[in-house]
Formats: sequence, C-alpha cells, structure tokens
Amino acid sequence: MSSGVKPGKYFVQGDEAIAEGAIAAGCRFFAGYPITPCSETSETMARRLPEVGGVCLQMEDELASIHAVGGASVGGLKAMTISSGPGISLKLEGLGWGIKNEIPYVVVDVQRAGPSNGVATRVGQGDFYTIRYGSAGGNSSIIALSPKSTQEAFDLTIECFNLAEIFRCPVFLLADETVGHTRELLLIPEESELKVVKRVKPTVPPEQFLMYPLDTPGVINYPFPNIGEGYGICVSPYTHNSKGYASTAQDMQEKMAKRLVFKVTENLDKLVRVEKQKMEDAEFAVVAYGGNARPAIAAVEMAREQGMKVGFFRPIIVWPFPDGEVLKVAEKVKNILVCELNIDGQLSREVARASKGKAEVYLLGSGGVEPHLPAQIFNEIRRLYP
Amino acid sequence: MSTVGETPNVLHPLVAKYLRKERMPHMACPGCGIGQVVHAVLLAVDELGLTPKDTVWVQGVGCNSRITYSTWVGDNVDAHHGRMFAVATGLKMARPDMNFICFTGDGDCGAIGGNHFIHACRRNLDVTAILFNNGIYGMTGGQVAPTSPLGAVTTTTPYGNIEDPFDMCQMAVAAGASYVARWRSTDFKPLANSIKKGIQTKGLAFIEVLLQCPTNFGRYVLKTSNPQDVLKWIKDHSVSQKEAKKISKEELAGKYLIGEFVYRPERTGIVERYQEFLKKYQKD
Repeated sequence: MSSGVKPGKYFVQGDEAIAEGAIAAGCRFFAGYPITPCSETSETMARRLPEVGGVCLQMEDELASIHAVGGASVGGLKAMTISSGPGISLKLEGLGWGIKNEIPYVVVDVQRAGPSNGVATRVGQGDFYTIRYGSAGGNSSIIALSPKSTQEAFDLTIECFNLAEIFRCPVFLLADETVGHTRELLLIPEESELKVVKRVKPTVPPEQFLMYPLDTPGVINYPFPNIGEGYGICVSPYTHNSKGYASTAQDMQEKMAKRLVFKVTENLDKLVRVEKQKMEDAEFAVVAYGGNARPAIAAVEMAREQGMKVGFFRPIIVWPFPDGEVLKVAEKVKNILVCELNIDGQLSREVARASKGKAEVYLLGSGGVEPHLPAQIFNEIRRLYP
Repeated sequence: MSTVGETPNVLHPLVAKYLRKERMPHMACPGCGIGQVVHAVLLAVDELGLTPKDTVWVQGVGCNSRITYSTWVGDNVDAHHGRMFAVATGLKMARPDMNFICFTGDGDCGAIGGNHFIHACRRNLDVTAILFNNGIYGMTGGQVAPTSPLGAVTTTTPYGNIEDPFDMCQMAVAAGASYVARWRSTDFKPLANSIKKGIQTKGLAFIEVLLQCPTNFGRYVLKTSNPQDVLKWIKDHSVSQKEAKKISKEELAGKYLIGEFVYRPERTGIVERYQEFLKKYQKD
C-alpha cells in the first residue's frame, strides 16, 4: 500500500492540509458528516483515500461517524473524523467509548462561532472546555493540539496520529475556521523526513496478554492488538478489568479511572509544546492559540516598534494545559493579556489558574465571526501596559 | 452440581467449544429466552465451521448484550446504546474478510439506534444482525419499548401504551437488507438454519427473534412470572406466513408474522462495492 505522501509545494486551505497530513500519517479510514467550516477536509479525504486504498464514508450523522471510526481503529486502521461545534457536541458520546477502551484515533474540531449553530461559516473558539471535559462521566484525560497555520495543520495532524498510538487514546486537533479556510503555502516533505509512529503490537502470547494495563496506570506505548489477531479482545462501554470484562466493583472503577487519567498526567513532560516570541526581556505577555495567534503576534510586533517590552506565548499542545510554561511566563511579566474568540474566557481562566497569582491576567474576548484585529489587540496592550 | 456463582462442572459441548468458561454461567434471568437464541447462534457457527479467529461478536446495549458480551472466545466488541451498527460499519470496512455476528435489542435497534439501523440496511452492510425482541425494556426494569404492543401496561405506560409498535422486519425489508426473517425463541431449528443462511448471505442479514421476558414483560404486561405463559402469549400472537394467507385481516391484527420475508442474495452492499471501487480508483 502506498504511503500516499505527495512531496511538494502547494497553495491550499488548512482543511485540505489536515487531510494530507492524515494520509501521510497512515490514516486509512475516515468517516464524517458534512459541516461548515470543515467540509473541505471530508471532500479531500473522499478524493484521496481511495487512491491509497483507504476507506472514506459519509455516515448518517456525527454519532455514527465517530463510532465507525472507533470500530475501524479496533479493526486495525488508523482512523479520523472531523466536525465543528454542534457536530462535536454529538461526537462526544462516541469519544467516551474511545477514551474508555483506549482506542487510538484522531478527532478534528474546526471551531466556529457558537453556541449551538451560531454563525456556521465564521470563526470562534468556544470548544476549548467542551473537548476537554465534554465526554460523559469524567475520569479521563484528553490530548489536544492546536495549529495556527496551514503548514501546522499538516504537521500537527501527523503528530495527533502519533500521540494517539503512543498514548492509546483519541487525540484532538483543535483548529478553527481561520486555520481551516486560510489558503497559504504548504510544504510537504519527502516521506523519509516524516516521523510516523506505527501501532505497537503485543509480543507475548494471547494467554499472557492483558488488553488494559490497569495495574500500571502511567504506562504508554502499550500494545493494541486488533480484532482477528487471535488475542480475543473485549471492548465495551462498561467499566472493565484488565481483560476487558465488565465490572461494577468500586476498586475496578478506581483502577480504570486512574489508568485513563494517569497515562496522560504521569507523562506531562512528553506533552509540552509551546511557542514563545520575544519573551526574553518581556514585561508584558500576550497569549493566544490557534488562528487567533496570528493577529496577536502582529500586535506584539506593533508594540515592540513602540518600544514596549511585549512578548508572545502560545500553547501548541493545549490539553494537557502547559501549567509549568505558563507559570514561567507569569513569573517574568507583570501583566498577561489573553486574546480568544469567546466571551466567557475559557483559555484566560486556565492561564489565570496556572499563573498562581504571579501576574495579572486580562481577557480580550470576542463572540467570534472575525478574528481579533492586530490594532484591537495593540490598543488593549497599550491600555494595560504598566 | 455446581453452587451459585461457580462455573458449572458440565458445560454444553457448544458452550465448551465457543464460549469463555470463566464467563459462565451467564446472567440471564430464569426463564429468559436469550439462552435459546445464543444456542441457535452457536449451532449455526458450528455447522458452518466458523472459528474464533475469523468471527467477531458485536453487541449494542440491553439484556442481550450484557449476556453475550465477552462470552465469545474470539473478539468481542460492545458498542454504546444504539451504536452497534455504526461500530460494526467501521469494523467490517476495516476487516471485510471477517464475519461479524451482531446482537441488538428492540430499544437498541428500534429506538436509540433506529437511524443507524435504517442506514446499515440501506448500505446493506455485510453482517449478520440478530434482534432480540422481548417487547419491553428488560435491563432498565420494564419500561415501554418501540416494539411494545398497543395497550401494554409497563412501568412508564401505567395507563397502557398508546403508541403502535414498530415492525422491525418490514423496516429492514423496505430499507434494503439482503435477508430478513422473524422467528420465535421456540423455533429452534428454523432459527439456527436462518442464522446459517444469514451468515452466508452477502449483505445485511436481519433476523428478529420474539423471545420471552418473564421478569418484566411477563410481570407488567401479562401479569405473570411464568415463562410458559409468556411463550403461550407469543404463540397466540404470532402466525406463520402460510397460515396467515388463510385467515381474515381482522384475525391477523396485532399478530407477528413468522418466517422469511426477503432473500435477495444478488443484492450487493457497501463492502463488496467498496472493493470494486478500490480496484478502479486505487493508484498504487
């Protein structure tokens, strides 16, 4: 089977770059339900996946598509689904099943202005907490990466697939409409330059293998045997023991909850990825993520031209939240301005929590539709600059 | 003799061959019909020579899934409530070479998963789906189901059910399944043969089984805890297609038709078509 990587220079949308990244990462199953602003990914997958022997299905709804993706991954294929706000809400049901059974796959959320259907065609950043805490019942951790450009949409999609296999869990690409619809240069390198993680397979015979490592909660790179490989696996929505048998025992629930949380929290050092600009001498920091990082960086440059010591900070892996890196920023500066495309201040609340009172945290929120303008952010910097 | 909670010393030969000994005895209520259906499935599997390596059991949520999940010696995949067909779609498309025997209940298939069921029939997904229809929500304690008879008193219809029940088989025929049949849990041999035929059929085989739930259907709808009374009710409310031709419309009202409704093995489905499609569009 072909790797599907098509090295070269392209002028494409972020949505298309996500599809190319998925194919390069070895994704061979895609199921989705069309929704703006991410239909271009589905359309690209529909064209590209058959070329490389993969399966692309348009399912009857979002619930079906995420469950089909979970099934395909259990069947042995790297798999992905995609949606936006209201569709992500529907997918959360299936996400819980994927998390609980430790099934690797990728969910892409191209955020739009919400709540509910909101403004379907325009940008928003309101799903930050939805993807982290939305899956039913808690007792889980999630990993999410957020691109700011077409190039990152490609690169981080590959990384999402790699982390999904390493951590044996669903991983989010938390994009937004700005990233999804920005058409710009994409460089696809030679296949040999791409790092693609393959699924880890058991090395012990079936009678010795335990499907779920509940007694070693922090372990990663744990094997995932697929169906038909003779391991007699058990996958279910119920709390399970190490073999996958349903259990109602309190100690089993405790063990499983710890496994699902600790495999992320005990490996936080492997999940820190941030962007810093002009932070060395900064006395004021601007924080933004995803597509809204772009006007924020422009505003920081404007402030620097005026002689203000302003730096820029962006979480690239947004969940688990980079508490340590944010604290370092907070210890360095007096004020932090968080720019995000929601009014309730989701990212800013996390920044404030992680800052531990070392800096003042301010929110420049927006209901969405348009990204922030550099001048708007610059004016806010000037107002708050000490 | 074995004591409560222990694996029986003597297992049925089909159970010994195909089910996980440590998961026996299963947790069905006394008098429940699920064991009869599982028996028919195991007989079909055995007669076809299927093995744990080439066959997967897939479940939804309900009494049937709690009893059948993680009992098959091969792979077991249990989905969220209603999502059995969605999960099976991903599984089958990833592994078209394997057999998928799917268990679903009347709530799983007819209510919460109704849309997925219709679309699995439309795609004619090549799996064998067995619907355990006990006419009530058993696992959650006797609430009304989309298959509960008109007038049925249940825990959520204390004044009687005012809604008409679904005919799941007619729905499967209309939506495009390759093979559709309905049996009673007591029709052991025809049921086992039907399951065999279903496994061998390309495309979706949908086999509904009317089975007795003395614990909840008996208790609330029929006011009896005797499985025999529930079986008698099923017998009195069902009629073979052949007999049905001889009786009046009035006599047929509220009765389940028993037998095969459709067998169209020539009808292709998504699995076969996708393979053809790949031959045309796969580049290397």
